[in-house]
Amino acid sequence: MRRMLTVGVGLSTSLVLAGCATNAPQDTFQPKGPNAQMIDDLQKPVFAVAGIIGVIVTVAVLYAIYKFRDRGQPIPEQTHGKPALEITLTIIPALILTVVGVFTFRTVFDLAKTSDTEMIINVTGQQWWWEYDYPVQNEYGITQPIITSGQLVIPVGTKVMLRQTSRDVIHSYWIPALNGKRDAVPGRVHLNRIEADEPGIYAGQCTEFCGLSHANMRMEAVALSKADFAKWVAGQLKPYTPPAENTLAKEGEAVFVNQCARCHQVNGMKRADGTAIIAAPDESVVSGAAPNLSHLMSRNTFAGAMFDLLNTSCRKDVWDADSESFGAKYLQGVSEDCLNQSDLRGWLRNAPEMKPMYVNPELLSSTGGKYRGMPYLGLTESDIEKLVAYLLTLK
Amino acid sequence: MAIIERPPSTEVATPATPSSSLGALKRPVSTTGWKSWVFTVDHKKLGIMYSATALFFFIVGGLEAVLIRLQLAAPNGKVLNADLYNQMFTMHATTMVFLFVMPMAAGLANYFIPLQIGARDVAFPRINAFGFWAFLFGGIFINLSWFMGGAADGGWFMYAPNSGPVFSPSHGIDFWTLGLQITGIASLTGAVNLITTVLNMRAPGMKLMRMPIFTWMQLVVQFLLLFAVPVITVALFLLSFQRNFGATFFDVASGADPLLWQHLFWIFGHPEVYILILPSFGVISEVLPVFSRKPLFGYPFVVFSGAAIGFVGWGVWAHHMFASGLGPVSVAVFSVATMAIAVPTGVKVVNWTMTLWGGKLEFTVAMKFAIGLIVLFTIGGLSGVTHSVAPSDTQQTDTYYIVAHFHYVLFGGAIFGLFSGFYYWWPKVFGKLLNEKLGTWNFWLMVIGMNMTFGPMHILGLQGQPRRMYVWTEQRAGEGFFNLGFWNTFASIGSLILTVGVLLFLINIVITARNGKIAPLDPWNARSLEWMTSNPPKEHNFDSIPTVSHLDEFFHRKYQEDANGQMVQVKTAEQVLKELEDNADAHIHMPSPSYWPIIIALGLPVIAFGMIYSIPISIVGGVIVLFGVYGWAIEPSTAPDDDFDPPTTTKDVVHVG
Amino acid sequence: MFSTGSKYFFGITLFGALSFAVYMLLIDESAIGATALLGAVAATALLTTLVLSTRDGEAGEAGVAATEDTPTSSMWPLITAAGFVILLAGTITTTAVFLLGVVVLLASLFEWTVLGWSERASSDKAYNASLRKRLLHPIEFPVISAVGLGVIIVAFSRITLAISKDAGAIAFIVIGLAVLGAGVLFSLRPNLKRGIVIGISTVGALGIVSAGIAGAGAGVRDELAEARSEGHYTHQDCGAEKSKYFDKLPLEVVSSTASVIATVEIVNGKLTARAQGIPGDQESITIPRSNPSSVMFVNKDQEEHRLVANLGTKVISGDVKEDVVLCTQMIADGAEQVLILNIPKPSMAGKPYTLTVPGLAGQSIEVIVP
Repeated sequence: MRRMLTVGVGLSTSLVLAGCATNAPQDTFQPKGPNAQMIDDLQKPVFAVAGIIGVIVTVAVLYAIYKFRDRGQPIPEQTHGKPALEITLTIIPALILTVVGVFTFRTVFDLAKTSDTEMIINVTGQQWWWEYDYPVQNEYGITQPIITSGQLVIPVGTKVMLRQTSRDVIHSYWIPALNGKRDAVPGRVHLNRIEADEPGIYAGQCTEFCGLSHANMRMEAVALSKADFAKWVAGQLKPYTPPAENTLAKEGEAVFVNQCARCHQVNGMKRADGTAIIAAPDESVVSGAAPNLSHLMSRNTFAGAMFDLLNTSCRKDVWDADSESFGAKYLQGVSEDCLNQSDLRGWLRNAPEMKPMYVNPELLSSTGGKYRGMPYLGLTESDIEKLVAYLLTLK
Repeated sequence: MAIIERPPSTEVATPATPSSSLGALKRPVSTTGWKSWVFTVDHKKLGIMYSATALFFFIVGGLEAVLIRLQLAAPNGKVLNADLYNQMFTMHATTMVFLFVMPMAAGLANYFIPLQIGARDVAFPRINAFGFWAFLFGGIFINLSWFMGGAADGGWFMYAPNSGPVFSPSHGIDFWTLGLQITGIASLTGAVNLITTVLNMRAPGMKLMRMPIFTWMQLVVQFLLLFAVPVITVALFLLSFQRNFGATFFDVASGADPLLWQHLFWIFGHPEVYILILPSFGVISEVLPVFSRKPLFGYPFVVFSGAAIGFVGWGVWAHHMFASGLGPVSVAVFSVATMAIAVPTGVKVVNWTMTLWGGKLEFTVAMKFAIGLIVLFTIGGLSGVTHSVAPSDTQQTDTYYIVAHFHYVLFGGAIFGLFSGFYYWWPKVFGKLLNEKLGTWNFWLMVIGMNMTFGPMHILGLQGQPRRMYVWTEQRAGEGFFNLGFWNTFASIGSLILTVGVLLFLINIVITARNGKIAPLDPWNARSLEWMTSNPPKEHNFDSIPTVSHLDEFFHRKYQEDANGQMVQVKTAEQVLKELEDNADAHIHMPSPSYWPIIIALGLPVIAFGMIYSIPISIVGGVIVLFGVYGWAIEPSTAPDDDFDPPTTTKDVVHVG
Repeated sequence: MFSTGSKYFFGITLFGALSFAVYMLLIDESAIGATALLGAVAATALLTTLVLSTRDGEAGEAGVAATEDTPTSSMWPLITAAGFVILLAGTITTTAVFLLGVVVLLASLFEWTVLGWSERASSDKAYNASLRKRLLHPIEFPVISAVGLGVIIVAFSRITLAISKDAGAIAFIVIGLAVLGAGVLFSLRPNLKRGIVIGISTVGALGIVSAGIAGAGAGVRDELAEARSEGHYTHQDCGAEKSKYFDKLPLEVVSSTASVIATVEIVNGKLTARAQGIPGDQESITIPRSNPSSVMFVNKDQEEHRLVANLGTKVISGDVKEDVVLCTQMIADGAEQVLILNIPKPSMAGKPYTLTVPGLAGQSIEVIVP
C-alpha cells in the first residue's frame, strides 16, 4: 500500500508539472498587467506554502502507516493526548495564516483603489454578450460616446476602470491576464480595475452561470499602444457612409433595414426622408438591447465573442503578432479575404442552431413573446449574400 | 414496540392487538412484512430506510455526474444539449447534497446515536418516522420534474434573478424549491429530535465529555441544521412567491437587490458544508481509534474544534461572494474569518494523524477509507485555504479549481467517511461482514478514480476553464499534448473508474446479503456502546441500560490495566453482554407504530403540486395534513397497557402493537 | 375501519369535490357557487374525519356503552341559544353580526354533539370526560389560541395606529417587557397559585383589548389620516406639492442602500452630479440603454426640492406625442430619494435627456444613453 501511495503521489506531482506547460489563453498564473500581477504575487507563495503543508501531512500519515502497522506489538498505552503539543500545532497554522491575512488585507484594498483612475468604460452584461460604452473623454479623443461589443479595446499602460452592470441576470467579467473576476449585477454598478502592460489580445469568459448559453459568453480584451488607440477611437467616430448605389452592398442595406434594424443599431443610418433609423430592441428582446453594429468589421468576433469574424489563418496572424506589429494588424479590421464566411453565413441562416438561445415561440409565454437571443429570421440565400456584402462595409 | 415484560428468551414473540384505541385507524400491529417497515417508528428501521434511500439517490446523482463527464470528455460534446446539461449539473449537486450526503448522515445518526448513548429509541419516534417520509417524498418530488417538463436549471445555488420565471420558464425550479422545502421539514424535525435525544436520553454516567465522538459531531450538525434550515426556508419562500405569485423580491426594476438571495443562500450554504462534512469526521474519529487500538488523540480538542467550526461556520458565508462586488471591507473581513476556520479544521487532521501515531494499526477496509479521508481531505482543505485569500479567489472562483476543491472535500472527505462507516458498521446493522477483499478493490478503485477525476480539475481551473459550461472549445484549451483537452478527457476516464469502484460496493452488498460471513459479536474489537449489544441489535437495543464510567466504555469493560500498567483483556465481548442480559430490565416500554407520520408526509407533496398547477389541489393536500395531524394528536405515542388484548399481566410475554 | 356513517360522509365529500371540479372547469371559476361547494366539501370532510376518528357507528361497538346515568350540566344549550339570537340580530343589522351568529351556532352545535356522544360512551364519567378531551382538545386549543392571538394582534395594531410613532415604539417596548416579566415570574415561581397566574394574564389581555377598543374609537393618528386623504401612497404628478407628509416609500427600496449609478445633489442652490467610480463632479452622466439604473437625489438646500427626469417623448397614437417625465417626491433639507431610470432609446433618438430641479432655472444634468 505504501508503495502504491508513493507512486501515486509521484505520478500526480509530475502530471501537475506537465499540466502547467500548456500556455492556455486563460491561464491564471500568467499576469499581463499590474492588477493581475498583484494577485499573482500574493497567490504564488500561498500555493507554495499550502503545497508544503500538504506534503508534510501526507508524509506523516504514510510514515505512521508504515511504522505503526500491526506487527504483534502489545496494545498501546491508552493516552488521550498531549495538550502542549496540541496547542503548539494550533498556534503554528494560526501564525502562518496571520501572515497571509496581512498581505491579503493589503492586496484587497490596493485592488479596490479608485482614486488613480485614468479612463472609464461602462460594461454591461446581457444574455449572452457584453456591451462596452466609452463615455465622452476628450483627453483620449472620445468626443462622442463610443459603443461596441465583443471586444474591449483599451490603451496600454492606462489605468482603466470598468463600471460593470447587467441588464438581466448576473454575469461575471473575467480576463485572467488583467485582473480577477467581478460580477456584473443588475441594479448595481461594480468597479473593476484593469490595465495591460503590452499590446496584445487577452481572452476571457463569463464566469457567473447566466443561463442557457453561459458557455458561449466569451470576451476578448484588446490592448493597443496609445497611438494606435487614438486611431481606433478615430475609426469608431467615423460617420456612417452608405454603400455606393447599384452594388450588392446597397441591396444588403435594404435587407438590413427591413430585417435587422429593428434590434441592431447602426449609428448614422438614415431613411430616405432623412430621419435617423433608431432600433427598438426593447420591443422584441427581454433585456431591451442588441449589439450595436456600427463598426462591426473593426471587431474580430461576433455573437458574444463565440465566433470569429476572422478566418483561421487571419486570426492566427493577429493573435500571434508581436507587440510591435499587433496594433497595425488589429486596426486593419476584417477584410473580405479574411472574413469567416461559414460562421457568419450560418449565423444569418439560423442563429439559434449555432448558439442555444431562448427564441422558441413556445417558451416565450413567460416573457410576453420577447426573445432572449437572436431568433431565426428566415432569410433567403440571396438575402444572406447581400447582407454579408453590406456588413463588410461597416468598417 | 409496545411493551416488553421480559426480554424475549426466544426469537418468537406473541403478537397482541390493541383493542380499544381511539382513532380513525387501529394501530398497525405487523411485526414482519412491508407494513412493519412503512408504519414503524423504530429508529433502527428508519435509519436503514434513510440510508437505503440515500444510497439510491447516490446512484442517481452518480449517473448524472457520469453524463456530465461524458459530455465534457471531448470538445463541443454532443451527449447533452445546453438545456439538459444545465439541468444535469443542477440536479447532480442537489441530489448529492440534499438527497445523498445529508440523509445518509441522518440515517447513520438515527441508527447509531441512540445506541451510542445507551438509549432505547429517539425522543420523538413518530416525528422521526415523519421526517423520513417527508425526506423521501420531497426527494421523489424534486426528481419528478425530470418527467414534467424538465428539471431545475439554475444551478444548486439558484442565483436570482436567473431563477426567476422569465429566465427559467419550465416548472423545474418550482419542483426544486418546493421539494427542498419538504426535505427541509425533514431536516428540521430530525434536528429537534436528535438534539433532544442526545441532551436528555444519555445512559446514566454518560457526561457530555464521555459521549462518543460521532454523537458529538452529529450534535453539532443538528444544531447547525436547526439554525441553517430556517434561512434557506425563507429564501425558498421568497423564490416561490416570486415564481408562483408574482412577488418582486429579486426584481431590480422594483428596487430589489439580487444580492439578497446570495446572502440568504450562503448564510445557509456555508454551514451546510459543515453539515455535510462533520458526520464523516465523526465516523472516522470512531474508526481510527478502534483500528489503532488507542483512544482518539486529544478527544476534547476534537470536540471543541468541532464546536468551534460550528460557530465560526456562521461567519464566513461571504467567501462564496468574493467576486460579487461586496466592497473591500467585507471582502477583507470575510477573507480573514475564512482563514480562521482553517485552524480548527487543521486541529482535527493533526489529531487523527496523532491517533495513528504509536498505535497498533490494523488495515481493514473501514480503516483504509478513514486514512484515505485524512489525506484527501487535507488536499481539499489546503486548496480551500488558497481561496480564502480573496484576491487569489477572484481568479479561481467559478473555475474548475473550485470544483476540484469541493470534490476533494466532499468526495474525499464526506463520502470516504461514509464508506468507512458502511464497512465499519455493516456487521452491526445486518449481522454480516462485508467482503474485505472486494472492499479493498472498492477502496483502491475509488481512490484512483477520484484522484483521476478531480485531481486534473485543479489544473483545468488554474488554466482558466470556468465551471458550468456545457462545452469547452479547443480554442481556449492551450497548446501541446497536455493541454486542457487532455485533462478533460483524463478526468472523464477517471470518472468511469470511480463508477466501477462504487459499483463494486453495490456488488459487495449483494454478495454479502447472499452468502456473507456471519459477524461475530465484536468483530472489530470496538470501543463504544453500540457494540455492547447483539448484531443486529434487539428491538429495545439494550436488555439493561449500561451505567457509563469511561469514554470508550465498552473497551474499558473488556480491558484493564494489569499491575505493570499494561492493558490486558479481562473479559470477552460475550461476557460483557451476558452481564447486561442477566440484569435485564423487567418492564420495557417501547413506542408503538403509527399510521399518521406517513399520512401527514403524503399530504406535503400534494400541497406542493397544487402550488405549481392549481390551488384546489393544495387544499386537498392541506386536508390530508390536517386529518393526519388530528389523528396524530388523539393517538397516545405509546399504547397504554390496557389497550392490549389480552391485557399485560403475565410475565415473559412480549407485546408488539 | 370504515363504518357506515363514515362511508356516507366520505361519499358526500367525494361527490362534493367532484361537483366542485365540474363547476370550476365547465361552469364558472369565480362565482360564489364554487365557494359554496368548496365550503360544503370542507365541512363534510371534517365530518368524515370526525366520524372516522371516533369510529362512531361501527358495528361491534354500537350499543355497548349506553348508560342510563343522568347527563352532566352543560353550557352549550345556552350558547346555542345565544348563537340564534346573534344570528337573528344579524339579519336586521349587519352581515358581520350574522356571520358571527353562524360561527357561534356551528361551534356550539359541534361541541354539543361531541359532548352528547361522549356521555353515552361508557358508564364511567371520568372516562367519558377524558374521551371528550382527547377528541376535542386537538381542535379546541389551536382554534381558541388562534382567535385569542388574533384579537390581541388586532387590538395592538389599533393602539399603535392611534398613538404617535415614538409613543408606538415605547408602547411596544413596555408591553413586550411586561410579557417578558410575567413569563420570567411564572417560570421562576412554578408553584405560584393558579388564581394569581390567571389573574395576571386576564388583566394583561383585558388591558390590551380595552386599549385597542379605545384606540379604534380614537381613529388613526393625524399624520396617517391626512396622508390617506391626500393619497400620498400613490405616485404623484411632478407638479407642485406642499404636504408636510411626503411619500417615504421609494426611500426604502433596497437598491438605494446597495448601489447607485450616480448621485445628484443640490448644495446651496447648485446642482451637481457624481458618478460611481468617476472622480469629481460631472455635468453629464452616462447610463446604459434599457437598464434599470438608480440615481440618488440628495437635497442639501434650505428649501424642499424634487428631481425631475425629462426622458424625451413617446408616441401615444399616430402623431400625438407625450413628454416622458419622472420625478421624486418633494424632499426636505438633508433627505434623499432614489429615482430608477430605464431608458430604452439612445440619446441620438431626439432631444437630449436631462435631470432638472424645478425652481433652479438654467441648471441641468445631461443623461447620455449611448
